[in-house]
Amino acid sequence: MLSASLRKSVTDLSRRRARTVFSVLTLAIAVASISFLAIPTLIDRAMQEEVRAGRLADVTLTMRPVELTDEQLAELAGLANVAAVEARSSVDVRVLVGERRAPARVIGVRDFARQGVDLVRVESGAFPGSRELLADVQDANVGVYDGDAGDTLAVVGGAGGLADFVVSGRGRSLPGGEQVQDEDVIVLYAPSETVAALSGDAGYDALALRLDDPGPDSAPATVERVRRYLATVPGFAGLSDLPEIRAPGDWPGKADTETFAQLLSVITILALLSALVLISNTMSTLVAEQTREIGVMRAVGARRHQVALIYVRTTLLLGVLGALVGIGLGIVLSSLLASYFGSLFWAIDVGFGVDPIVLLVSILVGLLAPPLAALPAIRRGLRVELREALEASGSALGEQGTADRLLRRAGFLPRVMQIGLRNVGRRKRRSLATALIVALAVGNLLAVLALAEAATKSTRMSWGDHLEDVQISTGGRALFDERAKRVIRSTPGVAEAEPVLKNTVALEGKEAFVWGVEREPLFRYRLAGGRWFTADEERAREQVAVIERNIAQIVGVERGGRVTLATAAGDADFRIVGIAKNQQEDGTALYVPLTTARALLGQPAGASAYWIRTESPDERFVDRTTSRVEDRLAALGYEIGSEIKYVAERDEIAANSSLTTTIAVLGFVIVAMSMVGLANAITTNVLERTREIGILRCIGARARDVRGIFTTEGIALAVAGWLLGVPLGYALTRVLVWLVWEVVDVRVPVVFPPLNILIALIGTVVLALLVLFLPVRRAVRFRPGEALRYA
Amino acid sequence: MSATTDRPRYLAGRPREALNVVVHDLDVPTALIDLAGVEKTYRMGKVDYRALRGVDLSISGGEMVAVVGPSGSGKSTILNMITGIDRPTAGTVTFDGRRLDEMSEEELAVWRGAHVGIIFQFFQLLPTLSALENAVLPLDFLHRSSKRERFERARHNLELVGLGEKVDHLPAELSGGEQQRVAIARSIAADPRLIVGDEPTGNLDTATAGEMFELLEQLNREGKTILFVTHDRELAARAQRVVEIRDGRVVDG
Repeated sequence: MLSASLRKSVTDLSRRRARTVFSVLTLAIAVASISFLAIPTLIDRAMQEEVRAGRLADVTLTMRPVELTDEQLAELAGLANVAAVEARSSVDVRVLVGERRAPARVIGVRDFARQGVDLVRVESGAFPGSRELLADVQDANVGVYDGDAGDTLAVVGGAGGLADFVVSGRGRSLPGGEQVQDEDVIVLYAPSETVAALSGDAGYDALALRLDDPGPDSAPATVERVRRYLATVPGFAGLSDLPEIRAPGDWPGKADTETFAQLLSVITILALLSALVLISNTMSTLVAEQTREIGVMRAVGARRHQVALIYVRTTLLLGVLGALVGIGLGIVLSSLLASYFGSLFWAIDVGFGVDPIVLLVSILVGLLAPPLAALPAIRRGLRVELREALEASGSALGEQGTADRLLRRAGFLPRVMQIGLRNVGRRKRRSLATALIVALAVGNLLAVLALAEAATKSTRMSWGDHLEDVQISTGGRALFDERAKRVIRSTPGVAEAEPVLKNTVALEGKEAFVWGVEREPLFRYRLAGGRWFTADEERAREQVAVIERNIAQIVGVERGGRVTLATAAGDADFRIVGIAKNQQEDGTALYVPLTTARALLGQPAGASAYWIRTESPDERFVDRTTSRVEDRLAALGYEIGSEIKYVAERDEIAANSSLTTTIAVLGFVIVAMSMVGLANAITTNVLERTREIGILRCIGARARDVRGIFTTEGIALAVAGWLLGVPLGYALTRVLVWLVWEVVDVRVPVVFPPLNILIALIGTVVLALLVLFLPVRRAVRFRPGEALRYA
Repeated sequence: MSATTDRPRYLAGRPREALNVVVHDLDVPTALIDLAGVEKTYRMGKVDYRALRGVDLSISGGEMVAVVGPSGSGKSTILNMITGIDRPTAGTVTFDGRRLDEMSEEELAVWRGAHVGIIFQFFQLLPTLSALENAVLPLDFLHRSSKRERFERARHNLELVGLGEKVDHLPAELSGGEQQRVAIARSIAADPRLIVGDEPTGNLDTATAGEMFELLEQLNREGKTILFVTHDRELAARAQRVVEIRDGRVVDG
């Protein structure tokens, strides 16, 4: 037998089933939203497994192609702290995908059967033999090439001729997949001999190393040892980029995943906040309508804490139910989302999993949040004087504040709407809480939309600085030289072609990019302070740089200051003459005279890319001219990649929007909760005013009149929520923009388009009408007789 | 005050037919309300409770009828049958030739708005509306006449019940007697033929109750049919006819 008071705790839940279901649902959604925080853990777990299975390199060195013998490789593997070494070659080609020539990269593997680092593993089919290629799983996943075992793939040769290869199957390697994701290039694997035949060069252009101790203390020293060894190899022409040292536990895309998780955590916090307001609201209602019962219990001798305990237990029960449903939902949701992201970005299978810490937090929040949220309501309920409590009727009259007096002025509205509007003021706390929940959803929605808009705007701005129509770059094997320049400039359709020399550097440990450009580049630099470099400085190859504001702020450099750049050719000191507002390379670019960059890299006539302006901006003309330049360069044996501005800009905007769409979809949890909150509030109001509905029906109100009253009330609450949500959304936008700056060092402009505010209003009203359908139907279904008997 | 002068101005001169009153048979003095073999059974959990056990009752237009009986005898249930608030389990309820038990909820709501005024024991005013707004509400629902006319009418009715000074007060700002006056003003808003009171003075002190009853008597003199439930033998005696209910049956009247 349950004790009477425990029984009351239970029956308080069962006597208002609809409300109990709403509360449990809300709590469950909130608890489930905590599970979002488990997504990075689940992905990390799967990726660590992938890193182990694929023996991901700790250090990767890229270099100008150099031939290495088995003995030399064995000696490299024998260096201190080197556990394994793998030499790779690569060649950038174009392949025929349907009618289109798509950029592809063939990565050469010395011996598929005996790989030590960055394993290429077969997913389906077999390792490629001669005249065979293995497609990376990401090719199909990203959608650049979906060929499979048995298909034929035509590689466009130097002279424009085609060479047919057979696809042996699909394989995977983390670095290969990353290149597909980052560069939209088709990655294919083949024996080194195939790559050598395609490029006409038997050298290796990358060394992947696994270290015994990959820690930050020993890795750089090992890299130095390898570099010194390579310097003794005949034909070694230096590293082409900074060595990539992978921090222990890191994997491609981990930083992005963590950034994404930070944005998710904002949504989780909002969802929790929303749930707390909703639960405390529900408890206020429960206690308020039981004022008389509280009075009765106290009249028959219950002490305050005994009464309080009844309600605390009720909320605990709610908590248990909500936590159980929410945790189940959360595990399913987080596993599904992690699997979705895993397959989308890395083509891996994440599978079901649980993050114990997130699980623990979910249980704690589920159990403790409801009683805590209910405490204020319980305290209020117990403070009512006994006599008053015993006389309480349950349906509030509401105090007459300024707002109520104002509402009474709205005499021009139909009576039904007036009643609905005034009813909003009867339960002020409940109305406010409901509006607040809607506001959280509207604010969240507006902020996500604003962030999407801002990302698009900053993408457009950064592309807007580019005055060229297409950028043709070398695959890294060899820089463009004077001959390439002549070929490009003489191609029909090319109006202007300008050399650029780009290189990655490290600035105070941060990755940055040096752009060697001409003094009057095909690029719009926008100065925030200082000046651009002069013709004298260009001629004298002075080490002067204009630095982008973003990275300048991160490393704390000012105009007139000096910076040391770590380059593949060693350290170099630069004087900062100007600060630029541009945001190329995520705001980490330094612009230096092309002559200086060439001198620094020991490439007097080299260029890593050419910015080309075509004679007409017409998209088809640009396409045609690009193909022509590509063909002519390829015929001369250059490895090339091209980036057509209008295509790249479009792709980047699409990529931005797919990310923000994902965030928006997750934010839908809050929207769902706000709608549950609204439906809950109106259901409660309907129940509370059942008698009143009866009276209205008695004096001639038709179903549509009653419907009108409650619909007006619900819409008024939703619109109030929208009103509160707009400033909240603006504040939240600023928080997100700040977060993006803090986490990824990217400055996104704060935009808050008025159109979105309107869209939010329409969305709020439409959704509100949808969720109000059930409670309002309930209101008109009461027969007057039943309604009048209802207590 | 005579009946004609008290009839609101905007109704003066209009034929009764305008209020949808259809006289079916002019030769036979037909009853306004006719209950025939009415039974009502409530399902309360697992037991059935028979509130009415075959009630036959006829009330003519212009009568003032008191319904008396002990608690739980079925008095209020009879009122609910007559006002269409509840439906009979068996039997028929006829109002001026129209079968209430066959009407839909919507039809009943519209019919009530036009033909019946109800006065509840606990007044049952809408707390967010002023006295005037409460008194005009049935007319708003009827969508009859212009807004100005409706307010004029309601104001007039409030003056009639002696509340002309407090039209803008909210129910919470009025005494019990004043609230019941508003409820009476509301009940006559649409100039209904029937006014029904469920213990209309039950919640008032003796003096106020007396005043209230005088108002009802005056309405009866003006031709309204008045039907009320009461515990008060003295008040019941002032009606033209007393119907006594016991255990769901009419035992007298």
